[in-house]
Amino acid sequence: MARGEALLELRSLTITASVADRQLLLLRDVELEVRAGEVVGVVGESGSGKTTLARSVVGLLERNVQVATGRIELVGEVLVGPGTDLTHTARGRSVGMVFQDASRSLNPLMRVRRHLSEVLERHVDGIGRDEVRARSTEVLRRMRIDDPDRVLDSYPHQLSGGLRQRVAIALAVVTNPALVIADECTTALDVTTQAEVVALFRELVDELHIGLLFVTHDLMLASDLCDRIAVMSQGEVVEVGPTDQVLRHPTVDYTRRLLAAVPHWTEGASATHA
Amino acid sequence: MSRVLVRKGLRHLGAALITLWLAVTMAFALGRLSGDPTSNILGPMATPEQRDALQAQLGLDQSLVVQYLDYLKGIVTLDFGTSLQFYQPNLDMILDRLPFTLQLVGAGMAIAVAIGVPLGVLAATREGTWWDRTASALALLGQSVPVFWLGMMLILLFAVRLGWLPAGQSGSWQHLVLPAVTMSLYPMAHVARLTRASMSEVLREPYIDSARARGLRVRSVVWRHGFGNASAPVLTIVVLQAGALLSGAVAVEYVYSWPGLGQLALQAIQFRDFPLVQAIVVFGAITFVVLNQLVDMLHVAIDPRLR
Repeated sequence: MARGEALLELRSLTITASVADRQLLLLRDVELEVRAGEVVGVVGESGSGKTTLARSVVGLLERNVQVATGRIELVGEVLVGPGTDLTHTARGRSVGMVFQDASRSLNPLMRVRRHLSEVLERHVDGIGRDEVRARSTEVLRRMRIDDPDRVLDSYPHQLSGGLRQRVAIALAVVTNPALVIADECTTALDVTTQAEVVALFRELVDELHIGLLFVTHDLMLASDLCDRIAVMSQGEVVEVGPTDQVLRHPTVDYTRRLLAAVPHWTEGASATHA
Repeated sequence: MSRVLVRKGLRHLGAALITLWLAVTMAFALGRLSGDPTSNILGPMATPEQRDALQAQLGLDQSLVVQYLDYLKGIVTLDFGTSLQFYQPNLDMILDRLPFTLQLVGAGMAIAVAIGVPLGVLAATREGTWWDRTASALALLGQSVPVFWLGMMLILLFAVRLGWLPAGQSGSWQHLVLPAVTMSLYPMAHVARLTRASMSEVLREPYIDSARARGLRVRSVVWRHGFGNASAPVLTIVVLQAGALLSGAVAVEYVYSWPGLGQLALQAIQFRDFPLVQAIVVFGAITFVVLNQLVDMLHVAIDPRLR
């Protein structure tokens, strides 16, 4: 995938929820794109629609939630549009997803090895046992895990939170998807582990040229990792642009208020990734 | 690690033995509370001398402590006494009847699981829909229908009216169908309700969402990731229900004249054949305690977090 090519495009995406007889707007006319080799941060308060946005791409919306208008395109093909929903073909294959609570996103009854082989066998046609083994080890190495064999043979509860999150990321990228979506995936981690995970994501994006949609409420984290940032409020993208620009020269009040709410935020102090 | 397991195992064994002792003692005490069996055996015309002789023969002239110790000694040496009405060793009679009850309980529980589990899973995956409500209503019905009534209705329909199946007794697989179906209904409903409750909890777990996000087949998500994690309480109830039915399938066995343990227990109680009642109670208690241990072991086998 060439760098700079649009991988994911959300075009005037409107999502509603049916509650009782009413239709609630969860997302209104969202325009956003993620290019190969790019990290796009989606920030905003809880309830601003970040998670709805992330989950709409993999088709994991609640039963009463539906795409009302607009479309989602993945590598130029319509993934979700009027009368179309191909998210089930993309999940795990061309889109990987990492969730909020990594420690609980692994099946407690299954070893890490089984998690990986399950995904590989599902998505890589005709893959043999040796290749499953090789790719499992390789992807853990890529996650900067020093002793992949021990981790492969472990159950989730035998691993630290940081390791579990790396395994979760490994599961999202082992099938070589074009796009990875991370939904608040560092929230449950301590600051040091957060920094490691962020560095890991940067590495993956730079080396594999994947696109990363990074959903977070943590502006500091977003400023460390993201190339561009979309600010969401009440279901709308109110501001989108290069990280520096959005964080240093916000154009809407909402972004300024978000920034003001971050402790010790001084303008220009962060946003080191230009 | 293994030392922890051994210590855990020993503690379990100790608890099991204490449970057994309590059950055995209870059986003894209840047997003595039910009155003097000699008058029952000898009838109203017996003389006091005859009664004294029989009491001496049964050891009832001894003090309660001595009787109790004799009784305990018998159990430890697998001597469960002799029936007052059949003049046979109780253990032999229990072992004669056991295969019939095992057949019945095995078939009944198999039907219960084969229908109850899918029904519960179906309801949980379609929570709040028409499917769910129907399945839940059926389960409620299944738990409310009295066994003896259901048994008689099935006999009326399938044996008397349609003539498809025998109305009672044993001998072929056709004889097994109606009693097994009758017996399965209550545990089936129980299993369905429990499966639904446990599944609907598990389906909200983040690892279910992430399994879906990985693009796994619905079948894998629901069964491997979902039911795998929801199965523990279901397994417990299946095994313990089976244990309870092994010595408690009285109604079903009575309705279908099925020659199992339940029948034997009924006969023993009616005749105040207290050694036989005791033996059956002790046998039931042992089965139950063993099955309990089995459940614990199965849980450990399934869930690595318990190891």
